[in-house]
Formats: sequence, structure tokens, C-alpha cells
Amino acid sequence: MDKNRRSYNATVAKIRAMYGKRLTPADYTELVNKRNVSDIADYLKKNTHYAQALDQIDTVNIHRGMLEDLLNRYIYELYRKITKFEHINKQEFYNYKILQAEIGVILSCIRHINAKSDEQITDIPIYIQDMLSIDMIEIAKVRTFEELLAFLRKTAYYDVLKNIEADNNGKVDFTMCEVKLRSYYLSRIEKSVQAWGKKEAEKLNSMILTDVDLINVVNSYRMKAYFGEDEKEIKKNMLPFYGRLSMEKQEWIYSASDEAEFINRFSKTYYGRQVAEWGRDMNDLDQNARLLRYRYAKLALKSAYSAPVSVYSFMFLMEVEIRNLISIIEGVRYGIPPKQIESLIIV
Amino acid sequence: MSIERMEFVNIAGLTKDFDEVLIKLSECGCFHIESASKITGKEKGFKVLKEENPYTPVLKQLSEISSLTGVKYKNVSDEGIEMPEVPERYVGDVRKRLEEMADRKKAAKDKLTEYECALEQVNHLKGMNVDFQQLAACEFIKVRFGRLPVDSYSKLPYYEDKLFYFTYFTEETEYYWGVYFCPVSCADEIDEIFESLYFECMQISKFIHGTSDDAINELTALVQENKETVDKINEEMLELVNKAKPKLDAIFTRYKTQHDNFDLRTKAAVTNDKFLIVGFVPKNEADRFMKLFDSMSSVSVVMQPADVNGKLEPPIKLKNNKFTQPFSMFVEMYGLPSYNGINPTTFVAITYTLLFGIMFGDVGQGLVLAIAGALLWKFKKFALGPILTRVGISGAIFGLFYGSVFGFEELLDPVYEALGITFLPFKVMENVTTILVGAIALGVLIMFISILINIIIGIRNKKIEEALFGNNGIAGLVFFGSILVGAIGTLFGVKMFSVPYVLCLIILPLAAMFMREPLSYWVKGKKYHMESGLTDFIASNFFEVFEFLLGYATNTLSFVRIGGFVLSHASMMLVVMALADQVSTAAVPIVVIIGNIFVMGIEGLLVGIQTLRLEFYEIFSRFYSGDGKPFTPVKINYDENIE
Repeated sequence: MDKNRRSYNATVAKIRAMYGKRLTPADYTELVNKRNVSDIADYLKKNTHYAQALDQIDTVNIHRGMLEDLLNRYIYELYRKITKFEHINKQEFYNYKILQAEIGVILSCIRHINAKSDEQITDIPIYIQDMLSIDMIEIAKVRTFEELLAFLRKTAYYDVLKNIEADNNGKVDFTMCEVKLRSYYLSRIEKSVQAWGKKEAEKLNSMILTDVDLINVVNSYRMKAYFGEDEKEIKKNMLPFYGRLSMEKQEWIYSASDEAEFINRFSKTYYGRQVAEWGRDMNDLDQNARLLRYRYAKLALKSAYSAPVSVYSFMFLMEVEIRNLISIIEGVRYGIPPKQIESLIIV
Repeated sequence: MSIERMEFVNIAGLTKDFDEVLIKLSECGCFHIESASKITGKEKGFKVLKEENPYTPVLKQLSEISSLTGVKYKNVSDEGIEMPEVPERYVGDVRKRLEEMADRKKAAKDKLTEYECALEQVNHLKGMNVDFQQLAACEFIKVRFGRLPVDSYSKLPYYEDKLFYFTYFTEETEYYWGVYFCPVSCADEIDEIFESLYFECMQISKFIHGTSDDAINELTALVQENKETVDKINEEMLELVNKAKPKLDAIFTRYKTQHDNFDLRTKAAVTNDKFLIVGFVPKNEADRFMKLFDSMSSVSVVMQPADVNGKLEPPIKLKNNKFTQPFSMFVEMYGLPSYNGINPTTFVAITYTLLFGIMFGDVGQGLVLAIAGALLWKFKKFALGPILTRVGISGAIFGLFYGSVFGFEELLDPVYEALGITFLPFKVMENVTTILVGAIALGVLIMFISILINIIIGIRNKKIEEALFGNNGIAGLVFFGSILVGAIGTLFGVKMFSVPYVLCLIILPLAAMFMREPLSYWVKGKKYHMESGLTDFIASNFFEVFEFLLGYATNTLSFVRIGGFVLSHASMMLVVMALADQVSTAAVPIVVIIGNIFVMGIEGLLVGIQTLRLEFYEIFSRFYSGDGKPFTPVKINYDENIE
């Protein structure tokens, strides 16, 4: 029997049990009303599943950055736990989190090169060094794009980035790098998904392409609204993958004359109609896209009977939860009113 | 057994007697009060009193005293106690003095926490025979003690070209406790690096004078000193409160009684000079209740049948005998019956005892369970205790039937032989099919009884649809019975499923279930209108009838578990006995005892839960809704916590 075709029901059941421990709206209400970061950490440690992540941590004087790092690390701990449970980590598809992490580190490096900053070390997720093929201490020492290419010479990322050149100031086109790296990631995932049964592959593809659709919509909106870019420029910087929004439909949206028309066209799409049904403000595109992705993942997890769909949707839902927590931590840290923080939470 | 019959009571009188009436009501212990406004509405000039309870402030202060000292008040009369002239002032004084002490205690506790934290930190530097003051005084080197997160420690190789040296003394899961040194000239840069790595600097200069061992000794003494201070204040607080306790108890009792009686006023309806209170009294207490007000000529008490007023649902008090009483816990857990419903406690008591006994059957284990239940009730008032006693005895009786004593299956054989009883013991493992078929037969019998109860309730409450055409009504009973009789007949070679049999006893009841709504309208002489069209009607009824059919099959098979647990109990004990055979003679009693304890624990729990599951899912779901409200007579609640 093909290893991938095994059902891995225990993993599905385990994920459901883990998902059952997610934060509730009542938890979020408690958290947004906390006075400081230490109180948030204390609440998470004593009342939620994050107790595992914060068990050995002294929450009294915890630094905001450290708490955020610990929460991000927890995502990978969950990932390890799930994929090691029935040893599914050996299967190609489940490398997607590692690919995501490596691409994240490379993009962070490019961002620091462009900013001529030498502080990349503070951003790197050192706790997953054992999972990655990139030496994170070494990549943090890279200062120019040429050094980066030399560093990546023996990895698959070299071929992806080799045709990009830095300008006279040493800066590189970050968006171009991002599109190339993410396209590489998507094509790898697309290939690994084929190893699953037809139904699972369809479901996974649909989830991944839904994410791409919405990422494209949000990025193109930003280009239109903040930089007034035209259709051609926008298209060049978008991921060339299409889910429910076909290429023609996406181009039709990009060709909107201004941001208002952009929103108007988006509202006529499958996703836009969903947002309208919920009665949400169509102009809040960022939050709407996050909510759409969140709800699709939730639905997928609820109806999932296969491990890859469960893992993919669960990990995404947990990432959203962590992002919610980081919004709360930052909100509380900067004294933003609870109501305002609550509006940022996806639940 | 049934549901206690109630009387609906109207108490009307002049407001001058209002408080006295309320005291009598809270003392009688048999009056369930309802809000009078539900009867009067906004008519007749009646209004609901909305007053601040004047006794709350004192009780709150008493509650604070209780939470400060952990003292619990007793319900005592003030006879023989010299009550203070102004109790409010007395309670206020005690509380004020206690609060002052509590403030001192908090200050000492804060210091204690600070010293304990410092001690914990300095403990990580234990054994460093270096004078910390000398280190701090270095002219060209900066020294920082503290802890570095493990993740940050992994990032240190990145800074290999920077001028610092970090070393750690102790290692925890998330932190390295240690020190870094750097030249004074680049101290700012290094401090910044360590700050970005979330290094937490220890503020030890405040505590360390000399070596770490000196500091540990100094801090240990300070911790001890502050602990003694806290203990001393605790003693002072207890002394104060114990001295005042008799008076506080008396004040609490008096004020709590007045407070709770005052709260009852909000349930009454009042006009200018009259009040009206309504509620329920059990019928058998009615005379005693009426007599309470004989001496109050201006107060009129009128008793009426409980269901006289459609606006108020009578409360439920279950009437049970000594045997069934403990099982009312299960019924209450599910929900009480409605006033015109049936009290299912007796049925639960019988079926629960029977099913548990069948599954748990073992003379020795059953008796141990019964004794354990009795002891738990006697010493701990554990509500499950009496149930354990009953089911334990039942288990012992069935154990006699199976011939099993603590897992020894042959122990009773000579007894039966001597008595000339040849059909006993009934060897479980040799009669697997009989056990399983018997379990289903018993299940079918219980289901039939449940359906019959539902039919009776339906007829009594004039719910024709449920009684005649429902899946738990006559149609369901005929259908289910006919299928079973047919199947059994066929099994014994009798041709049962003839055309008239199928048409009249299977198809017809099925059709009745399918058409139950229009048929019930027809029986009542009313016209039926299909609200959502014929297609919807057919579709929804088709699926409902399909669900009924599935229900009959699954519910019947569900009872197989009874047989399953009989076998599992016997099998588990077989394993214990097989293990006992493997060990030396001296170890046999130990294996048998531990095995019995294990099987009793596991099997007792499983059988208890499974029987309850059968009660709730297969039995209650057929006739019981559990939507009644409990009978809660008004009384004074002597709890220190005031809302």
C-alpha cells in the first residue's frame, strides 16, 4: 500500500483533540483586558493550552519579544508533535512548514540587506535550526545579495534567485524575490500534493489556492491603493497560481481604475459575496481576507478525515491564534483600548 | 411512586403583618415561593417592592472578616450572649482592626517574596567564592549576573567577534543562569546585545555583600525573619477574631435571617397597605401550614389546586420510598419530570439495580461494594454510597446465580450439589450465546415497558400524536413487536410473515407513523394544513421514519452490552486466576487481592456508567422529557458569602 494513502486516523483524531483546546472568545476577552504583557503571559500559562509552551517560563518580568518568540516556537512544537505522532514527517508534503520557514528566513535576510541592517539575528527562529537545511547563524552574517547567493549556492534556492541582481546601491527587488520564492514553494507543494488520493489532493489544492487567491487580492489592493500601480505592474508581482479566482478574473480586478472600483470588483467575486453575506465592511480588505482564510480552514478541519488536510488547516488555525495573541500583546503593550484590539482578532 | 401533589397558596394581608408572615414562611420549611407579579401582572394596583436590603452592608463586612481570617460563622441564637448596643459599629470596628493587620501582613509578605526571589537567584551562584563587591568594583571590566533564555544562548556564536565572555553556572529547561564580562569601553554595546537577547539582569548588588555564600546566609535569615512576622500577624488576627467570634456568630445569624427574609419581599406584590404572596405547599403539609396563620386574623391564606393558575408551573417534589430514594439523584441529573408526568425513580431503581447486578455478578465483590457504599455514606455522606450498597447486593445475588466468589467460579459448586440444585450455577463462559440473547431479550422487555409508559403519559396528557402514532406510541409498539415476534417465529420454523401479517402489523403501523401529524389532527376533529408543501412533507417524514427504524435496531442491539459486560467481568477474573497460577504459592493471595481490587474498580466504574447510559439513552428517551422545576422551600441560607 502506498504510504501516503494510509488513513492516519489517529493523527486526525489527535488534531481534533488539540483543536478542542483552542482559545475561546471568553479567553480573548480576558486577554484584551489585561494590564500588561506579564499578566497576559500569566493568564496563558495558567488557563490555556499554552501552559505547555510557558511551563518553565517566569512570567513576572517576561519581555514582550521573548513571549512572542515563545509563542512562535510553540507552533513548531505542535508541528513536530503532530508529524512525529505517526511518523508522517517522512512524507514530502509535510515539509511544507520547513519550506515556509526557510523562505521566511531568506526573505528576512533580503529585507535586512535592503535596509543595510545587521540585526537579522534577532529575527531568526533559531529554535528550528535542527529542522532547516540553512545555517541560521551564517545567513544572519550575510550583508549583501551576492553574499546571499554565494551562501545559497548549494541549495535549491540558488536557482530560484540567481537571475536577480542588486542595483548600484546594493538593493534588490524584494517583491520579485518574494514572488519567485513563493512560486517555488507552491510548485513544490503542488507536486507533493499529487502523492495523495484524488479527493485529498483536490481538497488540499483548493485550500492552498484559496490562500493564494486571497494573498494576491490583498497584495494587489495595496499596490493599487498605496502606489497607484497599473494592471501590468500588479500582475508581474502576483503569484501565478489561481484558485476560485481565475487568471482572467484576477486581471479584471487588477485593472480597476482606483481602489474604490477595486473593492467594487472584489465584492462581485465568490469571496466578495461571502463577505457581503456576513455583513462586513467590504473596505476592510485585509481583515476580510484573513477571516475568509480562517473560516475556510475551520470548515476544512471540521470536515476533514485525512491527515494532510487536517494538519494543513490546523496549523493555519493555530498560526491565526498566535497572530491574534501577538496583536493582543502589542495592543496591551501600547495601551490600545480593548475594544480596538478585539476588532483585530480573528475568531 | 409518584410526584408529590401540591397546593397553590395565596397569602394576603395587611403590610403591618408582612414581616411576621415572611418569618413564618422561612421557618416552616415547606413553602415554595413564586413571584406574585406573575399572577397580578401590572393590574389591580399591585407593584413589586424594589428596596435596598438594609442588612447587606453589615453582612458584607462580616463576609470580609471571614475572607480575611478564614473564619466560618455558626448559626446560633443570641441567648446568653451580651450583644453590642450597635452591632453595625462593633462589626465595623473588628473589620477595621483586622484590615490594619492585613495591611501589615501584606507589607511583610511583599518583603518576603522579594527576599525569596533574591534567594532563588543567588542560589544559582552558589559556590562562587568570589567577593561580588570586588567584582563590581573592577575598573576596566563590567560584570552582569542574570539569566539568558536557551534560544538566545544558541545565538551567541553570531557575536563571536564581540568583546565579551558569557559563562553559566546552572542550566534550566528555558534559561542559563550565568554571568557575562566585557570591557568597560564597549559595555553599552554589549549590554544592548544582551538586552536584545532577553538577558535578565539580577539586581543582586542590593543583597550581596561578600561572596554568594554570605549572601545566601543573609537572605535566608531575612526570609525567616519575615516569615515569622507574617505568622505573628496571622496569630494576632486569629486571636482578635476568636475573641469576637461568639458575638460575630450571633450578629451574623440575626442579620442573615433578617436579610434573607427581607429578600423575600421582592417576591411579593403590594398595594398601599396590603401584600400578596403566592407559592406552593405540598398537599400533605397543607393543614400544618394553614395552622401557622391561625393567630393572624388579618392574614388570609387560600389553598387551591396546584394547576389552577396556568401562569405558574407547579414545582416538583419526588415521592420515593427508602429503596428508590438514592436513585432520584440520577433522575435529577437528567431533569425532573413535569407535574403531570410520571416519576421514573422506581423504574430507574429497579432497572439500574437489576442491570448492574447482572453485569457485575460476583458474591464476594458485590458484598465488598455494598459494604464500601454503606461506609462511604456513613462517614462521608457520599451520595453514591446508598446506590453502591443496593447494586452491590444485587451483584452478590447474581454472583450466587453465576456461582462466582471473588473470581473463584467453582467455590459454590459443592454447595449447590449438597442442596441438590442441578440448574445452578449458571456458568457464564459456557453459555455465551444464552447470555447475549438473554441480554437482548431483557433489553426488548425494558423497551416495551418504556413505550407503554409513554403511551400512558400521552393519553393522560392528551398527546394523541405521541400516544397513538409516534414511534414510542401504539403504532411503534405494534410495529416493533410484530417484527420481533415474526423474527422469533421464523427462527423456530413458523412462517410468520404472511401477507395480512405484514400488511396489518408492519406496513399499517409504519404508515401511521409516517402520517402521524395529519392523523392526530383527524382524531382531534381538526383540519390539517401542510405548511411547507407535499414534497417537504414526504421528505421530512420519510427521513424521520427511517430514523425511527434505525433507532429500533440500534437501541435493541445496544442492550448486547449487558451480555458483553457479564462476559468481560468473567474474562477479567479468569486472567487474574491465570496470573495467580503463574506465581509462587505465597504470592497467590496478593495477586488475587490486587486482581479483585482492579477488576472491581474498572468493572464497577464501567458497568455503572454503561447502565446509566442505557437508562438515559435507551429508556428515558422514550418517555421522559425532564423539564420540571424543583421544589425549593424558602429558608435562611447561612453562607458567609454575600452577593
